[in-house]
Amino acid sequence: MNQEHTGNDVLLEVHNISLSFGGVTAIEDVSFDIRTGEIRAIIGPNGAGKSSMLNVINGFYHPQQGSITYKGETRPQMKPHHAASHGIARTFQNIALFKGMSTLDNIMTGRNTVMTKNIIWQALYFGPALKEEREHREFVEHIIDFLEIQAIRKTPVGRLPYGMQKRVELGRALAAEPDLLLLDEPMAGMNVEEKEDMCRFVLDVNEEFGTTIALIEHDMGVVMDISDRVVVLDYGKKIADGTPDEVRANQDVVDAYLGVSHG
Amino acid sequence: MGSELMFFFETVISGVMAGVMYALVALGFVLIFKASGIFNFAQGVMCLFAALALYDFMAPGGWIDRLFGITLPVWLAIVATIGVMIVVAWLIERLVLQHLVQQDPIILFMATLGLAYVLEGLGDILFGSDVKPLDLGIPQGASDWALDTLGLYVEKLEVVAAITGAVLVTVLAIFFQRTRIGRALRAVADDHQAALSVGISLRTIWVIVWSVSGIVALVAGIMWGSKSGVQFSLSLIALKALPVLILGGFTSVPGAIVGGLIIGVGEKLAEVYFGPYVGGAIENWFAYMLALAFLLFRPQGLFGERIIERV
Repeated sequence: MNQEHTGNDVLLEVHNISLSFGGVTAIEDVSFDIRTGEIRAIIGPNGAGKSSMLNVINGFYHPQQGSITYKGETRPQMKPHHAASHGIARTFQNIALFKGMSTLDNIMTGRNTVMTKNIIWQALYFGPALKEEREHREFVEHIIDFLEIQAIRKTPVGRLPYGMQKRVELGRALAAEPDLLLLDEPMAGMNVEEKEDMCRFVLDVNEEFGTTIALIEHDMGVVMDISDRVVVLDYGKKIADGTPDEVRANQDVVDAYLGVSHG
Repeated sequence: MGSELMFFFETVISGVMAGVMYALVALGFVLIFKASGIFNFAQGVMCLFAALALYDFMAPGGWIDRLFGITLPVWLAIVATIGVMIVVAWLIERLVLQHLVQQDPIILFMATLGLAYVLEGLGDILFGSDVKPLDLGIPQGASDWALDTLGLYVEKLEVVAAITGAVLVTVLAIFFQRTRIGRALRAVADDHQAALSVGISLRTIWVIVWSVSGIVALVAGIMWGSKSGVQFSLSLIALKALPVLILGGFTSVPGAIVGGLIIGVGEKLAEVYFGPYVGGAIENWFAYMLALAFLLFRPQGLFGERIIERV
């Protein structure tokens, strides 16, 4: 779909990642890459290790084996702080917003890595810190316009309906001006209309800002529609990798989803 | 004005002032609880430690005197003590908190209990255990102006404490609401994982919040130290802050102030007007009774976030 700006340079590559918790293996020897500018979907049945994979990419989990190459730099594991400050932003499967804070403040926290004025100025709430605060506020207002959430700007997010919270969470991730955006089931639990909105936002982010996106999603219609390439995990292993059409035609994938009779 | 009414006003005013002093201590608790969900039992000892260090830096025969042969003027001693409290905060994060990330609140609470004893012992070893009069040049005694024009007896020190408290709270409120670090503090309080994902470093935030509450402890330590001397019983004012917190809510800065005022005024009025009927000295336990009543009817306090837990 977005082939026209899908370059061939790789933004992130995971090599032979294995991750286990105690005796339970979550990911086993998985490798794939994410190219600059593409929408990359990670799919698979429940418990396939998709969310674990995202957690490895942004440094929440540290794999026992394998390595991650991001922007040409290879390391055995990422650290959350490092990932965030180098342009990886994400949303969560079970929304992780700051519930007591307003929509505006939540999205402002996303600017954390881009705001640099030191604590002394901030404590005095004076000089450069004040100017900086205004500039970032302006940027955040653009995001609010883009996501069409002007009306809930001042509402504490704990009071918002589920679909709106998902949208605010996307806003917070966008506020960091990420190079790589990780979306963990951005459309889960949404009705058809909300899903359509979210699809539109994801595509717009990808096309207008050129942001590379890796997303986990269960809605196959959505996945096949918006992604450039799809990687399929099952029981922690990679069973297929390719364009939506290739994946759809893959017998292993069909078996994994529909079950296979061991007759 | 009748002397009955005058006496009532004097009681209320002295209650308000005492309340501000309680609130100053409670504030330190609220800051740490807000940002990390830890009930810091060591807060009272931090007040003591800060006051001890401050006194020591200014006194002949103190560490600075022994090391460099000089004593610091008041303002420089305050700056140096702030430095000490920041180092203490950094050490606490390094040696204690860092190793207890993701542990239950009760475990962190126990750690602060241990911390209280360590800090108290350290204060004893470094600065000695005798009672020290803290004199920063804060005016003492009754305000002549209030006595002459209004006929009221008002302690000058308590007025200074009230003004200091008001300034401190205003500054903290702006810091929390309007700045990036303030937002990051609130973010960490809300959701650790989400905070990490936007690049907030938990460790930095914890050092900052413990430093800020160390500075608040210094202010409380100065006020209490000026009032009754720097002595080890100072660490027990932490216990008086507990009912304040229960009233105001553990997570609310304004709550700490209002809670402090209610407790301060409440216990003074109770002492004066109900005390005689039950044999007096109810000032000592009235606050806890009030707290108990609150726990029954409004456990989240006046301003705290409603306690909803998923079962």
